[in-house]
Amino acid sequence: MREALGADPPGLLERLRAGDARAFEELVIAYQHRVYGVALRMLGSRAEAEEIAQEVFLRAYRAIGAFRGEARLGTWLYGIASRLCLNRLASPDRRLARGDEALADVAAPTPDAASAAERAELDAALRAAIAGLPEERRLVLVLRDVEGLSYEEIAETLAIDPGTVRSRLHRARLQLKEKLERFA
Amino acid sequence: MTCTETRDLFSALADDALTPGERAALDAHLAGCAECRRELAAFGRTVALVRAIDPAHAPAGFVDRVLAAARPEPWPRWLARRLSAPWPTLPLGAAALLLVAGLAVLLFRAWPEQQQTARYQSAPPGPAAPAPSGETAPSAASDSPQADASRDAGASATATREVAPAAPPPAARAPEPPARLGDVAESKNRLEQAAPAVEPTAPARDAPPPALEGRRAKVDSIPTDTAKASTRRQDAAPLSRTGAMTGILAAPPDVTAQLRAADTSVAERSLIELAGRLGGGQTGRRIDGGRVVVELAVPREAYAQFVREATALGPLSIEQQATDRPLLSVAVTVSN
Repeated sequence: MREALGADPPGLLERLRAGDARAFEELVIAYQHRVYGVALRMLGSRAEAEEIAQEVFLRAYRAIGAFRGEARLGTWLYGIASRLCLNRLASPDRRLARGDEALADVAAPTPDAASAAERAELDAALRAAIAGLPEERRLVLVLRDVEGLSYEEIAETLAIDPGTVRSRLHRARLQLKEKLERFA
Repeated sequence: MTCTETRDLFSALADDALTPGERAALDAHLAGCAECRRELAAFGRTVALVRAIDPAHAPAGFVDRVLAAARPEPWPRWLARRLSAPWPTLPLGAAALLLVAGLAVLLFRAWPEQQQTARYQSAPPGPAAPAPSGETAPSAASDSPQADASRDAGASATATREVAPAAPPPAARAPEPPARLGDVAESKNRLEQAAPAVEPTAPARDAPPPALEGRRAKVDSIPTDTAKASTRRQDAAPLSRTGAMTGILAAPPDVTAQLRAADTSVAERSLIELAGRLGGGQTGRRIDGGRVVVELAVPREAYAQFVREATALGPLSIEQQATDRPLLSVAVTVSN
């Protein structure tokens, strides 16, 4: 899981709104992995994840003047990324054959000396289980257990109630547990 | 508490998000229910598996590709692209302009004194004499009108830099020996207004295709990015190539406009972005009587759209000259 999101880099928002070009670069450097990460886990293709992640920053670049600072920069960017991913997943022309790349670098460590074959099997099962979750549940699971956001941060990101975050997350984990029963 | 109610709390338990009351009820049930304890153990292992997934890293070169995409295409490159495709359909007027431009270059080359002057006037500012920058402006802030103007200039310089770095001036990048640099820059200055078509060097700073970039070995991108950023900033400083900067008088623009906006630097940026979006771009920038004048190139067919959108930025007054050029030069004075 990624380290906690934490507060915005001090002064960054003000400099962004003042049109400081260097500030935009700092924003991309600071949040590139997070934005790319959520896109990769949601879309399952590195190329598509990069395309969406770029689009997230371009939208942020264009909209920074209208950003009122009611959310943190991090949750704002995660929010744009989430919307773009859900839109992309809902688009009819999206190719169906994809997804194997999604968690190719999952590399879940095994506590005991399990054989490489077992580990590979577990990786594949985990990948398939996550990819098989309904999109909104998968998004909450990725934001919480991969990207390390808190309930409140996820609620802010997706503009939903923290209670909804909690229930979606619970359903996602229960569903995973059932699919991974024989490994867990 | 029933088994179902208990299991509904497992997820919140894993996140340490239970209220003290919920926690107490859960513990009480678990103490007496082996089945729920087993369920909890399996649930916990599942959560641990997901959390063990490595967070993804954006591919190398991602930051540069985003920065390149965030900036509008520099107008010399736009012109190069526009001209490379529709040569046979170029209107007669443009062809005539090209002819005049070519003639001007010939005359200029045959006139060493003029070249000497140009070299002197258009030498790019070195590191010892940096252009005013956004970072330094606020420290000089006071309430005097002069300081206001300089702050304004500073803020706008920042704005220019934001869109500019992808278009370094030829003088800073062109591979010719120094003796020829002034030559190129000067002819450019003279011809810019009359015939923008003859941009002599269009430094393309095309990012490598993402596919190639992705295959590169992973490197620690931050120091590289920082280094590149500082290069870009230096390149951006001498962008403005207008009369005020070089001492050479430019031809009057086709369209002269006054835009009033509460935040001049935002308005300036929006104008530049607008011109870029419509297929034109920024051609220069100067300070006239303490007010910023943004010089833009706007394709004739997009001019109506330009006016419509520029009006949305604030009260706009316009003076137009009759012209049939395909690319209009527009000078907008921005004030508040």
